[in-house]
Amino acid sequence: MSAETQTLFVQHFWNDSNRTLDYYVKRMNGYESAKKVIATMTPDQVIEEVKKANIRGRGGAGFPMGMKWGFIPKNSEKPKYLVCNADESEPGTCKDRQIIRYTPHLLIEGLIIGSYAIGCHHSYVYIRGEYVREAELLNAAIEEAYKNGYLGKNVFGSGFDLDITVHRGAGAYICGEETGLLNSLEGKRGEPRVKPPFPAVSGAFSCPTAVNNVESIANVPHIIRLGGEEFAKLGKIDKSGGTRLISLSGHVNKPGVYEALAGSMTVRQIIEDFGGGVWKGKRLKAVIPGGSSSPVLTADEIDVVYDVEPLMKIGTMMGSAAVMVIDEDTDMVKLLLRITKFYAHESCGQCTPCREGCHWMESILHKILHGEAKPSDIDLLVDVAGNIGGKTLCALGDAAAMPVQSFVKKFRSEFEAYVKGQKSHA
Amino acid sequence: MPKCTIDGKEVEFSPGENLVKVAKRAGVEIPVFCYHPGLSVVAQCRMCYVEVEKMPKLQTACSTMAVEGMVVKTQSEAVKKGRAGTMEFLLLNHPLDCPICDKAGECDLQDNSYGHGGAYMRHSEERRTYVDVDMGPVIQKNMNRCIHCTRCIRFGDEVAGIHEMVAIQRGNNIDITTIDGKQLKTEYAGNYSDICPTGSLTLKDFRFKKRAWMLKKTPTICEGCSKGCNMEVQHEGNVVYRCVPRENLEINQYWMCDEGRFNYRYTQDESRVLVPMKKSGGSWLVSEWDSVLSELRADLSAKEVVCLVGSDLTNEEMSAIRETMGTIAKSAKLMSFGTPGIGTASQDGPADTILKMKSKTANLNGAEKAGFAPVTGAVRAEVVVVFRGGRAELPKIEASRVYGAGVFLERDRGALTAILPGLSFLEKDGTIVNHQGKEQRLQKAITPRGRCKSTGEMLMLLLNQKAVSA
Repeated sequence: MSAETQTLFVQHFWNDSNRTLDYYVKRMNGYESAKKVIATMTPDQVIEEVKKANIRGRGGAGFPMGMKWGFIPKNSEKPKYLVCNADESEPGTCKDRQIIRYTPHLLIEGLIIGSYAIGCHHSYVYIRGEYVREAELLNAAIEEAYKNGYLGKNVFGSGFDLDITVHRGAGAYICGEETGLLNSLEGKRGEPRVKPPFPAVSGAFSCPTAVNNVESIANVPHIIRLGGEEFAKLGKIDKSGGTRLISLSGHVNKPGVYEALAGSMTVRQIIEDFGGGVWKGKRLKAVIPGGSSSPVLTADEIDVVYDVEPLMKIGTMMGSAAVMVIDEDTDMVKLLLRITKFYAHESCGQCTPCREGCHWMESILHKILHGEAKPSDIDLLVDVAGNIGGKTLCALGDAAAMPVQSFVKKFRSEFEAYVKGQKSHA
Repeated sequence: MPKCTIDGKEVEFSPGENLVKVAKRAGVEIPVFCYHPGLSVVAQCRMCYVEVEKMPKLQTACSTMAVEGMVVKTQSEAVKKGRAGTMEFLLLNHPLDCPICDKAGECDLQDNSYGHGGAYMRHSEERRTYVDVDMGPVIQKNMNRCIHCTRCIRFGDEVAGIHEMVAIQRGNNIDITTIDGKQLKTEYAGNYSDICPTGSLTLKDFRFKKRAWMLKKTPTICEGCSKGCNMEVQHEGNVVYRCVPRENLEINQYWMCDEGRFNYRYTQDESRVLVPMKKSGGSWLVSEWDSVLSELRADLSAKEVVCLVGSDLTNEEMSAIRETMGTIAKSAKLMSFGTPGIGTASQDGPADTILKMKSKTANLNGAEKAGFAPVTGAVRAEVVVVFRGGRAELPKIEASRVYGAGVFLERDRGALTAILPGLSFLEKDGTIVNHQGKEQRLQKAITPRGRCKSTGEMLMLLLNQKAVSA
């Protein structure tokens, strides 16, 4: 890491004593941003500041956060909700867990500021079912905040009321999709809703709702502290401000959660500077750059700047910034079967292409791997993926189709080896 | 009115209309499964893809509202490929047992497969199968045929007002069933079969009875209550096999209750009296029209005659009875009967929050407009003549001679001394007035059996005093 690199989160990670309110207040200017916002700023000014910060949503879609808040109707008489998406279910992603574990008050402060900005008095944190410990820690932090008058009636004595409820999911990938999350939050089946209406118009309990990722919300106190323009300048690329937490996993020497200024590094630098290179001295074969749903990159394509637009230009995506490194000895057919199995298992079953198609792709891949497939089955696989991608109710269909299309396109010879009987499943 | 373009045709629409509806008006049929005009839009079957100019992905027509100047293509290559893809997915696990499926011939899955699917199957894996639960007396479930459109779940939640159908499991294992596998409770269960786009939910009553394409269809009105739900009688060879609701947005929308749906059964009941009969020495004997009519003619000159007119009769029958009685039995007192306690339209009202009305006869409003006073309590007279369709509940009658003209089952004969067999609502034409005051037309679906005669013919014979050979 170069000396000029500035981080907002990682310096507070990996120490259990950092999660207390005491540490947060003393070492991180805790709750000063929220106090400043409520005392001196109007909700519109807050949204304006977030817009200036150029912060893209950190959940996967990369939608500008200030714009999202701006969509919440101001004159609606219905209650408004700020829902924090802590479902973090995209395979490879583990950054939100770190935030909740080590800097929970950053998230709470972000929720206070966000709630104030959109006029919400009851905010929900939807946390994935597997994060048992994290839910406990977050609840403990929320309790601390209540005790100190930072939450509840009359926050900081300002007259602004805010309650935060932590809602635990039951372990479904689809509940990370914002409308699936809202259904689950309401006690319904975790199935995505038809859009429009978008949550900003009709979200939780049919009221205007903003759904934001943990990292997005945890950045809000930083935005207020630094000022929107300063925060935007942290980003080394257009339309992307602040820093990015990167979950680095797979065949690297030092996997973990790292932080880089947005657009300041290439994929190669992330693997080499952060991860210490591919493990066991092996060569790199491929990289999945943004969680298991993003199209795979070959070893030749990794000199790309790691941010939303450069990755989009070469046909992949940044997603939730989960970089998975794949070494030369990895069997791409097996890996794709594992990924496809995940999406087939996690399909909610609501819409036809995803319900039927994901399972079918899994069956075809299983046949290929076990030497039971015909040569034409590879094209069939790609065609089925084409009938799913872009045709489903929510993005899960795309998430299942993109790996299949990219794996077959870039590593076709490995699939052919199985089909022709040159290789067999051990 | 704003306009949009569908397949090159300019169409007007009212704001808020979706593309399925707008296209239909332009004569373009968009294939659907999960969309139903009477239910909420979920856009999950992914069949109704259309291409909308300036939108990168295919859109589902059911969830896309028409917008001024929108240009929609429903027959582009992308649309065709998308629909064929969906059809292929839907048939992956469908048993294709059309030859033994009651839905065949009127099945959306079958129709859309012919219209939009491919001719060959690329899938060679084993099909998904389920164990079915017993859904009660009305509906037969066959989950293997289900395409998970969730129309049934939404019908229960949104129309029948009961949350009894649910989706359990998820993904490829998703199962549409009742909560805890219980039997259906709703009194509107037959609609589950109507809205099911495949043979997953069929009527037990209709199971294996008739192929759908052999049925003749006659539009008529349900006589089950004063709601006047529009329905279609489906019959073949003078036998009725089932009744289904017809769309009428002002009355029953797309639905009907099970009581009305299965009400037709009494018209085919084995114990229905189909020949003139007389009670003699405590037992019923088959008689002749001449004989019973001449006795009635003689009895009508008695001092005390009450003529009871069922509010299940048509307007035409009611006025014929009034005129005839006015000619040959001037002193006769005419009264209406139907549902005990519901003698006038003002006493009528909704019996539930969906369709059912308190009056269990269809033409209560007509009887009231015709000026018949409702029966209250027991009817006492020397001679009583009862005209009845088949639904009106007989009041307590104390008379030495009681003639029943119309539809009677053996169990209805208690108070009667003679029967002139008449026509049920399926066997005659006529008009009835529903609770809203809407006049609607009954249409003859089947020919009367036995020696039954229409009310009009009976009255004519009564007047003419001529011998009857039938």
